[in-house]
Amino acid sequence: MKYTFINIILLLGLTALLGGAAFSGSRLAALSAERESIKEDYSLANSVTFGLFSVDQWRDRVSDVINHQINGFHITKAQRKALQVAIEKEMHSLVSKTVAEINQPQKSIGGKLKKLAFNALVDADELHAQVRPFAKTIVAKISSPESEKKLKTIAGSKINQLTAQIYDSTRVANYTVTQYVYKKYHVNNPISFNQQINERLAVIEHAKFQLIWVMLGCVVAALLLWLSLRKQVQLQTPLFIFALLFAFVLLATGSLVPVIEVDARISSLDLALMDGTVQFRNQVLFYQSKSILGIVHTLISQSKPDAIAVGSLIMLFVIILPLLRLIAKGIYVLSKRKIARSPVVKYLTFELGKWDMADVMIVGILMTYIGLNGILKSQLSNLNIHTESLNVITSNGTSLQPGYFIFAGYVVFSWLLSYVLKKVSPHDKF
Amino acid sequence: MIFGLAVLLAGEAFFGYRLHQLSARQEAIKADHAEVNNITYGLLSVEQWQDEVAQIVNQQVRHLTLTKKQKRLLQSEVEEILYALIDKAEKMVDKKPTSLGGKIRKLIVKTFVKADKIRAQVPSFARSIIAKADNPDQKAKLSDLAMSKFTEVQQSKTVDSTLKANHALFNAMYHKYGVDDTPTLNHKLDKLLSQIRVDMYQYCFLMLGCVVVVLALWWLLRKRVDLHATLFILSLLFAFILLAVGLSASMIEVDCRIQTLDFTVLGQHVTFKDQVLFYESKSILGVVEVLVKQPAADSIGVGILILCFSILFPVMKLSSTGIHLLSRKQIAENRIIKYFAFQSGKWSMADVIVIAILMTYIGLNGLLDKQLALLNIHSQDLTLITTNNTALQPGYIIFISFVLYGLILSTILKYITPNDAH
Repeated sequence: MKYTFINIILLLGLTALLGGAAFSGSRLAALSAERESIKEDYSLANSVTFGLFSVDQWRDRVSDVINHQINGFHITKAQRKALQVAIEKEMHSLVSKTVAEINQPQKSIGGKLKKLAFNALVDADELHAQVRPFAKTIVAKISSPESEKKLKTIAGSKINQLTAQIYDSTRVANYTVTQYVYKKYHVNNPISFNQQINERLAVIEHAKFQLIWVMLGCVVAALLLWLSLRKQVQLQTPLFIFALLFAFVLLATGSLVPVIEVDARISSLDLALMDGTVQFRNQVLFYQSKSILGIVHTLISQSKPDAIAVGSLIMLFVIILPLLRLIAKGIYVLSKRKIARSPVVKYLTFELGKWDMADVMIVGILMTYIGLNGILKSQLSNLNIHTESLNVITSNGTSLQPGYFIFAGYVVFSWLLSYVLKKVSPHDKF
Repeated sequence: MIFGLAVLLAGEAFFGYRLHQLSARQEAIKADHAEVNNITYGLLSVEQWQDEVAQIVNQQVRHLTLTKKQKRLLQSEVEEILYALIDKAEKMVDKKPTSLGGKIRKLIVKTFVKADKIRAQVPSFARSIIAKADNPDQKAKLSDLAMSKFTEVQQSKTVDSTLKANHALFNAMYHKYGVDDTPTLNHKLDKLLSQIRVDMYQYCFLMLGCVVVVLALWWLLRKRVDLHATLFILSLLFAFILLAVGLSASMIEVDCRIQTLDFTVLGQHVTFKDQVLFYESKSILGVVEVLVKQPAADSIGVGILILCFSILFPVMKLSSTGIHLLSRKQIAENRIIKYFAFQSGKWSMADVIVIAILMTYIGLNGLLDKQLALLNIHSQDLTLITTNNTALQPGYIIFISFVLYGLILSTILKYITPNDAH
């Protein structure tokens, strides 16, 4: 048996490849789960509920703008002039009124005397002439720095008094959420939180693509090996079993790793308000990332019977039946003629294709992705507003995730297996 | 047997028709319900805010109070101005008069007016000035002024015309359902909807019952080869009815709303509940329409694909099965006919899958709710966007039943066909 040695090396090589694929599959699943949890925390902390939809946030931002306005307030020359004119007018009318009052026909002797004294001593025109310097004094006094400071303090404290009367119930919830995420990520301010999240996501993204390539590379290497050995008839059975194991790894990883991620946010909102701007950044409207098993789980955990029915159907057609077919193929190849030709095994191996909907699922997910992406894009672009005072930019981060490609890999691989099985099957088919 | 099946078929058709009608009616009522509770007539409506704003203006202006500290600051400000004025006056009097009259005047003023005395009175003057500005009468006057400005805005033409349009719409709605205010209308609509829902599911299950009876008949008659062709053709008719109802009845409804908006603004507690942002109820053809109307080419492609899987494939499949069974061997073994008869069935499942995935992504998003619950935060007071009322509709169940029924029929065909099935 000169093949034995080669056989052992071959089998060891294949085992190593299988191990590599399985390892990268499990790493991928773990990384995807971590990424999902990070993104969920990020979406929670940056949710519109605690931002754009929170009256507290608006109050803080608007009162900042107003306080800034008050602090920067300064009586300008034009305003001084206007003030002066206003005060002069007021004083002139006051003087005229007083003079007119005294000059009224008086009945009592005291009144008459007073009138006499007033007319002797005071000249109305002179009084009017003195209005200007007095008004100037008042204006100078009001626009002096100390007095401005005092007025600002009064206005500022009044504004604070008013803003204290504006609030909603997000404060406690917001505090709890912030404490939770800060503690989880060991940070203490929003900037370092966002920074850390972005760093971690970048690392995961990088590793994720490496793992996908490693995994698919292992599968392709195994296929090439098989192809080069297709003439060695005695090796076909172990090779086929290995192929089935590869398919199983692909199926398991493909159904555990997220397939579509939906991430809709308002990336920035700027509202111009009294020379200041009210800004909101990265407001997450909606985030959702699910694997095929996650979709099934969500459907089944509903209280509605129709959702449960659909979930079970998908579970049956997309996960259980493909699994059964893999096992049946294994039994068919491995076992003796009698078992292999039993109708159940034969039915499972060859006839079940019509009910196996893994390929339909791939098409269905792709259709959902494109449809959802298109609808979200057009809905979000309706929210994009660019005017002088208001600037809204939305972003739609809907994307296919690695689970989709791995599951697609499984589908292609299983087609190949069915095709090969028809060719190499040790027992005649019918 | 044929007569019995014909009766069953008629029953099926009737249930399907009723289901279709009810589904259309439910859609109309739900649309009305969503319209009445729409955000434009709630949170974004001028009318809803009028009362709140009126209250706020009244309270803020009429009850405007200065704190002690503010009063103190204001007082010192006024005092300083008064002192400055007195200084100025003194200086002017002290100026050397040139005329005799001026000299006499200075003398008199010097004798009678004591500047220090006046200065001592400044604080009390200042206090009375502030008190004058701060008195309730003055505030009431101001508040009246503000209110009159406010009503002026309210009665401006644009606001008035929108209000009129809204009132007309609501009155039409009240008239339609014979009620006279929004809470009773909502109550009545809820009751109607739950009634229709029960009826719809009843018809839906009756239809499925008919199909199950047909399949049971197949099992009973599996030995009677002579009856198979007739039975099969009748079964195909059942499938057509299922398909027609499944396509036209609504499949999914998407309902997106703001659950609660609850805050206090300037001492006025404002609450808005269940503000509908978006409501759509769609049959599978409606979904296709939405997709095809998107500007992007890929969405249009998907729309066409769904259309293929939901109409073209099933119709081709059912006709091919009939042709395969009935016609001559040559036609029956045509590759296209055989593909459609035996293999195409599962692709209709793609539509089922698309709707199911859409549902899990946009409908069942308990994500934020769930996370908040983990942190022990009660979400009912927070402003959340929820889509919890999104639901699958009977049309969806009928369509799935059609797909499964079609798959079973093609399996049956494989056993009864005189031709080669492979």
